[in-house]
Amino acid sequence: MTEATSRNPWQVTAHVWHALFLREAMARVTADRIAWFWLLAEPIAHVLLLVGVRTMIGRVRIIPGAEFIPWLVVGVTSFILFRNQMTKGMHAISANRALFAYRQVHPADTVLVRSGLEGTLSSIVMIILVCVFTLLGQDIIPVDPMKVMGFWVLIWLFGMGTGLISSVLVTVLPESQKFLSMIMLPLYFLSGVMIPIQYFPHGIREYLMYNPLVHAIEFVRSGFFEGYRMVDGVSVLYLGYWVVGALLLGLLLQVRFKSRLMSE
Amino acid sequence: MIEVSHLYKRYHGPFGGDWVLNDISFTIPRNVSVGIVGRNGAGKSTLLRLIGGMDTPDRGSVTRHCRVSWPIGLGGGFQGSMTGRQNVKFVARIHGGNDRIPDLIEKVQDFAEIGKAFDQPVKTYSSGMRSRLAFGLSLAFNFDVYLSDEATAVGDVAFKKKATQAFRDRVGQASIIMVSHQEGMLKDLCQAGILLQEGQALWFDDIKDAINQYHESLGK
Repeated sequence: MTEATSRNPWQVTAHVWHALFLREAMARVTADRIAWFWLLAEPIAHVLLLVGVRTMIGRVRIIPGAEFIPWLVVGVTSFILFRNQMTKGMHAISANRALFAYRQVHPADTVLVRSGLEGTLSSIVMIILVCVFTLLGQDIIPVDPMKVMGFWVLIWLFGMGTGLISSVLVTVLPESQKFLSMIMLPLYFLSGVMIPIQYFPHGIREYLMYNPLVHAIEFVRSGFFEGYRMVDGVSVLYLGYWVVGALLLGLLLQVRFKSRLMSE
Repeated sequence: MIEVSHLYKRYHGPFGGDWVLNDISFTIPRNVSVGIVGRNGAGKSTLLRLIGGMDTPDRGSVTRHCRVSWPIGLGGGFQGSMTGRQNVKFVARIHGGNDRIPDLIEKVQDFAEIGKAFDQPVKTYSSGMRSRLAFGLSLAFNFDVYLSDEATAVGDVAFKKKATQAFRDRVGQASIIMVSHQEGMLKDLCQAGILLQEGQALWFDDIKDAINQYHESLGK
């Protein structure tokens, strides 16, 4: 028999997160017959494909202070960390709607837990890729692991914040889903993942620097490569404002629209 | 004891919405089982959801001085893509019973008697199997008050007997608040009654009076 009285709110939340994490992980692993394989293979294939395409096109551009392939791998994986949290977090609430029958489970819990799971998966992918490319003879061992981890966590938190916001948006304004999936592709090109920001004309670069992902990805790269020259104007403070802002706005929206998120 | 005071609730459609519950107050004493009756759309399920904390009222409050279950019913509580076993594990974990999972699973299986279907996704269940699982799951926990929203309506005779027996065994320890159109079941399990009509709640100390009043209001 289970007693449910003597738990404080923190313990309840911890229990809910534990239960949701196992449920989400189970759902990801058993989605179809090769889901467990695809879990790690999909982002890896994604990176390998891009590297293949760029190498085949030839004209490998010179990146100041880094080899091209490691530079691309780090950028794409960091971007995937952000993208997966946003796109998967967006649907966390609708996928778990039946579980709101239990008053312990709040909509924000499902987004946060899914974000945690996606971030964990992306981190494992990053470690695998670093190992694989090191074995292939590329120089991709981070020179400053603490810096890499710090900014990796910042991207993770930023993804969490945008996940919290977008999950409210798609529930309250279902039309916004089309728009949100549409901006992902241009964001890919404008975040300096495949094309270095330095190659854009100065007039455009000024506007590209408003994108916080540019800052985040540049910082992760500078932790990886010794003597890497970041784009002028990157700022930890600017990135920090976005991360904190996204998290606060996301949590505020979750509180404000809680009853609508649960009922729709 | 459950205190409901000045409860208001409405659902916002595209053209606004009327009050489903309009200033409802009552107190359910400890160990008193209550049947909620009323016509379709009177707000019975809404009231139960509010008591269970699944939904928030527009005004007013619900105070729970005891452990209240989630509303057991046809309308959800199970994730369709998960198997019965996974759902049971999930609910056990959020209630902090992680270390008692094997024990709980045994209890639920014992009550539900759905055999191998326990390891099939819940979306493949019939409505009767779902309510067996839902009832068995909530009975595996020691709640003071169980909320049932037509959970027994689709069950067969054996299941109804079993559910009734389970609550008889717990007289004095646990009570039930049930929404149902099965008057036999209400008279069997409940002492007091609440009649919901036009957004108002009428309390009856005897469930039979509530049912009679309900019939009168229908013009029978």
